[in-house]
Amino acid sequence: MDWPVIWQYRAAILQGLAYTVVISALAIVGSFLFGTLLGYLRLTRHALLTEVVNGYVEIVRNTPLIVKLFFLYYIAGLDAFPSGLVALIVHQSGYISDVITAGFRSISPEQAESGYALGLSGRQVFVFALLPQAARLTIPPLTSQFIEVVKNSAVVMFVGVQELTFETQEISQATLRSFEAATVATLLYVTLTSVIVGGMTSLGRRLRWA
Amino acid sequence: MSGARQSIRQPIQQSTRGPVSLRAGVWLALALIGAWLVRNFHWDVVWRAAPFLLRGLEVSWELAILSVLIGLLTGTLLAAARLYGVVGIRHAAIAYIELIRSTPQIMIIFWVYFGVPPLTGTVLNPWPAALIALSLIASAYLAEVVRAGLLSVPAVHRESAYAAGLRGATIFLHIVLPQALRNMLPALIAHIIMIFKVTSLVYLIGVIDFFRAAMLVNNRDFAPYAIYLTVALVYFGCNFVLSTLIRRFDPRYTLSA
Repeated sequence: MDWPVIWQYRAAILQGLAYTVVISALAIVGSFLFGTLLGYLRLTRHALLTEVVNGYVEIVRNTPLIVKLFFLYYIAGLDAFPSGLVALIVHQSGYISDVITAGFRSISPEQAESGYALGLSGRQVFVFALLPQAARLTIPPLTSQFIEVVKNSAVVMFVGVQELTFETQEISQATLRSFEAATVATLLYVTLTSVIVGGMTSLGRRLRWA
Repeated sequence: MSGARQSIRQPIQQSTRGPVSLRAGVWLALALIGAWLVRNFHWDVVWRAAPFLLRGLEVSWELAILSVLIGLLTGTLLAAARLYGVVGIRHAAIAYIELIRSTPQIMIIFWVYFGVPPLTGTVLNPWPAALIALSLIASAYLAEVVRAGLLSVPAVHRESAYAAGLRGATIFLHIVLPQALRNMLPALIAHIIMIFKVTSLVYLIGVIDFFRAAMLVNNRDFAPYAIYLTVALVYFGCNFVLSTLIRRFDPRYTLSA
């Protein structure tokens, strides 16, 4: 074991961590927004929209991330970072749209009906009756989706985005200290996912007023 | 919800899907239009490389099936340890499952191929390393699937078996596990899809699976459009069959519409 060698490469590791954090954060926001849009389109119960969204989700869920990534990088000709970001968003939005749709569908119809019976408008029913319940129901599955984004962000190393796994491989090639480099990277990934779990749990606790 | 109440809900719960034949026809028409649009790609390259690509697909499926089988066995042990184990064993199982599940899959492949061999002074070939890494991944994820399946069996069944005089191992193997297996089938197939997709990441260590085979063909003959489309279609085709199976077992599993 030779930990001091890793310490010499702290700048590279921090830079990799920064790339991982930035691309994960952007991909989490992007895939949440896009996935919510897709989920909303399905909730409108418009037959054609539902069919198109289902087709998109089915295609996206059944192909590996690396295929989308290489497609965007080598065929569509995007730069490394944008192709990684778009691939992550496209990949995860399919799963997130399912979470959103299922969250709203699992609220019993009585809730909306009671709201209307009390004289609330459609918007009020959505904001005060459905949204808080859906938020509470979707937070646990969304947490695991966001963790998936962080883990999947390692795949973008294949097109040369210098994120944490990329730097780990660089360091291990330069120093032949693969075990130490992998340990550091794994600990950092576990820390990142713990931060997400902690953040989402406290968010869920804040939403208890629902 | 009783049948009568269900019928009151019909206008709200109504399916938005059209007749099956119409939907299939529209998708088929779209597929034909798509095929016509891409007719001028260099399909001869793919055709000539077909045996090589099929060999790669075979490697991918070998890795996926073997690691799912190994993962199912070890995952069952892990799930049993997590649910019924004594203090130390239970926490070890939880730590292993959570560590693997919160680490990127590429990192695990990296660990097995680059990380551990220098310590032990051994050299692993890419294929065994890929199988070990995928089995580690499968065991942790499938442990959670099995655990959810075991939890889905009502405690009364175990208690009744116990009252009938059966012993612990018999109860687990003959009463709980068969029911759990049936309940967890959809999730299990979903994880086979996941593992099959993860096999594409052994690209990192140079195993010639389907994905790397396609990339090698592209490097030699350069027909990116035809080859990437083939890759996407093959992965989609394999997994679509599986995800259709899921919906047959459990219509509510995903994509409810």
